[in-house]
Amino acid sequence: MLYDLRHSDLRVRWLATLLLATLGTSYLFGAWMVGLYAGFSPRKVAETYGASGEMMMAMQMPPDTTVVTERPVSMAEMGEEHHHVDRDLLVQDTHVHMPMYAVIAACLSVITLGLTAPRWAGLAIITLLFAAPWLDFAGMWLTKLVSPRFAIVTLAGGWAMALGYGIVAALATHQMWWRKP
Amino acid sequence: MKTVLLGAAAAVLLHITPTVVLVKREDAVNRLLPGADNFAARELHLSSADSKRLHDAVGWEPPDGVVTFYVGKHQDQAIGALVFMRVDCQHGPIELGIGFDPRGTVRGVEITKATVEMKPWIIEALRAGLTDAYRGLALDQAPAGAEKLKPRVGAMPGYMAELTDKGVMHAAAAYRLFYGRK
Repeated sequence: MLYDLRHSDLRVRWLATLLLATLGTSYLFGAWMVGLYAGFSPRKVAETYGASGEMMMAMQMPPDTTVVTERPVSMAEMGEEHHHVDRDLLVQDTHVHMPMYAVIAACLSVITLGLTAPRWAGLAIITLLFAAPWLDFAGMWLTKLVSPRFAIVTLAGGWAMALGYGIVAALATHQMWWRKP
Repeated sequence: MKTVLLGAAAAVLLHITPTVVLVKREDAVNRLLPGADNFAARELHLSSADSKRLHDAVGWEPPDGVVTFYVGKHQDQAIGALVFMRVDCQHGPIELGIGFDPRGTVRGVEITKATVEMKPWIIEALRAGLTDAYRGLALDQAPAGAEKLKPRVGAMPGYMAELTDKGVMHAAAAYRLFYGRK
């Protein structure tokens, strides 16, 4: 054990608690945002990150000749935004989110290092913390470039992130404030 | 620890600020297709060859290969068409609505969305008359909003005008090359 969170200075435990509370709050809003813009079902995620949003099933490959279609739309439909993340936006999202995810995973890993847990469990938690963002973005890119079926990988990444945070927050809170020797 | 803190600070600084709506799409439609009460979405699914043609013309192609024009009509008479165009930059995306009259000249441009960071720059550019620069622009004319604005505004509003020029140029090229396709 590199350090013992249970017996650490009050200031360290307070810092870890506030960090976990702040990250937990941001995760709740993150889940809300996912619900607003991408959804929690594989179909919704595939529509958001797939080849061309609502048209993805019909047109994944460019046609041999340009195809023109025309359909009536209402004013409401024009105003309604189909939140679709195209390749350029996904490049930007990956660029700005991956470093932030890495920092969050590193912070939670530092807390993990101070937990009283078997070595293998610590390794597993740290792996989970870093695997989650990789799964998240790998799923988005695979959904876009390979097949909408990979939307499930993005969902797995999101749930893995929640699970990793949940395990660290629960163990840390319990060990810092309740489980005293 | 120092590296972690610096990394966190850099990540915060690099993070793109949230998107804000500057003009509701419905309002943009009313301004760019005045009098229209009947609408159709004209979707152009570009072939690889046409995507390349567009790219060769203006250095841009729709990432997912689809350009959607909204056609406005009143009593079966075409009022014009508009397209919503996104332009990305390191500060985030902006969304423009570009309206064309039936002859194909630009009727108007509305900046519908931007990020929180870009909003004040765009407002300054709009106050300096950015969108006036595009009214009546022919399809073969290069947009010159930035050129007109830059002597009168700061660097960042000038940059916003450059992005708007770019979006108008992309929309005009898509209209010129493909809008009339059957």
